[in-house]
Amino acid sequence: MVPNDSLVASAESRFRRFDADSSVTRPVWIMSLQKNRRAWCAGGLLMLLTGIALVGPLLAPHNPLLPAGGPFMSPGHGGFLLGSDSIGRDELSRVLFGVRTSWFSALGVIASGVVVGATIGLVAGASGGRIDEVLMRLTDAFLALPGPVLAIAVVAALGPSLTHTLVAVSVVWWPFYARIVRGEVRALAARPHLEAARLAGATRLALMARHLLPGAVPAIVVTASLDVGNLILTLSGLSFLGLGAPAPAPELGAMAARNLPYLLQSWWVSVMPALAIFILAFASNTAGDLLRDSFRDT
Amino acid sequence: MSPLAFAARRVSAAIVIVLILVAAMFTLQHLSRTDPAHAYLGAGASTTAVAAERVKLGLNQPVVTQFFHYVANLAQGNLGVSYRTRNPVATDIGEYLPATVELAFYALVMALAAGTLLGVASAGKWRGARVLKFVMVSGASAPLFLLALLGILVFYGHLGILPATGRTSSVNPPTGPTGFLTIDAVLAGRFGVLLNALRHLVMPALSLAIGPAVSIGRVLRGSLMTVLREDYVRTARAKGLRERRVLLSHALRNSVGPALSMTGLQFGLLLAGDVVVEQVFAWPGIGYYAAQSIPVGDFPAIGGVTLVLGVGYVAINALVDIFQRIADPRIKL
Repeated sequence: MVPNDSLVASAESRFRRFDADSSVTRPVWIMSLQKNRRAWCAGGLLMLLTGIALVGPLLAPHNPLLPAGGPFMSPGHGGFLLGSDSIGRDELSRVLFGVRTSWFSALGVIASGVVVGATIGLVAGASGGRIDEVLMRLTDAFLALPGPVLAIAVVAALGPSLTHTLVAVSVVWWPFYARIVRGEVRALAARPHLEAARLAGATRLALMARHLLPGAVPAIVVTASLDVGNLILTLSGLSFLGLGAPAPAPELGAMAARNLPYLLQSWWVSVMPALAIFILAFASNTAGDLLRDSFRDT
Repeated sequence: MSPLAFAARRVSAAIVIVLILVAAMFTLQHLSRTDPAHAYLGAGASTTAVAAERVKLGLNQPVVTQFFHYVANLAQGNLGVSYRTRNPVATDIGEYLPATVELAFYALVMALAAGTLLGVASAGKWRGARVLKFVMVSGASAPLFLLALLGILVFYGHLGILPATGRTSSVNPPTGPTGFLTIDAVLAGRFGVLLNALRHLVMPALSLAIGPAVSIGRVLRGSLMTVLREDYVRTARAKGLRERRVLLSHALRNSVGPALSMTGLQFGLLLAGDVVVEQVFAWPGIGYYAAQSIPVGDFPAIGGVTLVLGVGYVAINALVDIFQRIADPRIKL
């Protein structure tokens, strides 16, 4: 949700130029995907992460909720590849389950942010006038507040649970997408092919669905893929504060936090889940960078 | 628009946003699973006592009336009473706030310095630029607590050169007049305490600063790259100026705008991270206060902290905008 880079903006403007000399029927981003290897790499990386998140728990050697041996075994000892925690649960199994929760939570919030944000941005941009004004003022008000801090308050009020956390973060996560989609739509609305469609008698709904929304897709895809990493970090921070699923659920942030008193004896119980978060965020940020560069270079 | 009119407009926008924040906190307080009357009286309270307490707290009045009471109380600096400490939340926050402001200030200074360094270094054409890009992506991907935990393990556990918890290990640290330990120590002329406080600040401030530093660096790099293509930069190069001078005294000054806006926005992230960092380092600030309040569902405390942090964030961003407008009159709101 951080209105990151002028780079995203430059990717968008580059895209528009590309759009101008292509046919309207075939979405441009599909053509650029066909042409662009980097975009394929990025897509592959994201699919790989999703695959790991899906399959990982099936490969877990132990039940993540039950002790499987002695407590505080260091990595590689007692049959524990990543060691065991304070009551002898297998750290590797817990991390694998935690990765699944983190990854799909992040994707879920992104999806809701994109749907809500894109709808509001689309309606605002396509309607113009007073509706645009009201919707964008609302968006700006949300953008002007510190989202993550607000999310802490929302979860604290509703009570800690994974569902509440996801709801809270979703509530603060859409405005950035609304801004981006609205900007794209306003730029597109002034273009000749939109004028032509309007003259041909297309309804407002058809205009939005067939002509405006597809034009905003590349910007949404790039922004969303760059955002997954941010979201994984934000969610893990909330989990660290005890705002995720209650114990004994294997959540990466909470695992790192609960071991704090024993940090110096058993560093791995805190560091392994934190490293897993780092790897997830790093991989998705790399994918986002690749995707952004691929749109810029087409 | 004159700078003054601009400032007035920006400030009134900020006030509207703060009012929205207040309304949000009031709504959350109502959604909260804890009934304040129960929370204050304890689990064993009789039904009549709870009913009497509800009347005393005004909970039997219409919601609109309650909202006006809430706003009126806030205007007088009354944030309610904490379920956990039983103190007025405003008193608690007043006690914890200086530690947080001090930490956030040092973190922000570090983020600005490191961000400028990262941005300029990665915009230059030299061999290290690729390595820096990797470092920056890593920095942007590391959860705050990973940095904090590794810091504690290495510098406290392994090397034993930095303290891991708290603000000071001095037995009788100076208690006034500002509440900022580093300033108070200087005012009292106790440089041992100052050094001790700075050593306690290093790790929390650094772990807080890394994320924002990377974001600032990225944006600065982006705008530097754009500015470096401008005609006047070519002129400066054509005059035979050294690349370093072109970069630092010609390009940099015109590139700081977006980076400054980013700094304001990153401040929000810094505040959210502050709660995590204070929890890890047992730093006695409002983030620690909030983190302690979360497990017991002490919403008045959490809401109070959210309000204070939110107002701080809105104010900083308004100041950044006004400052930028003064620095660069081309900017429109």
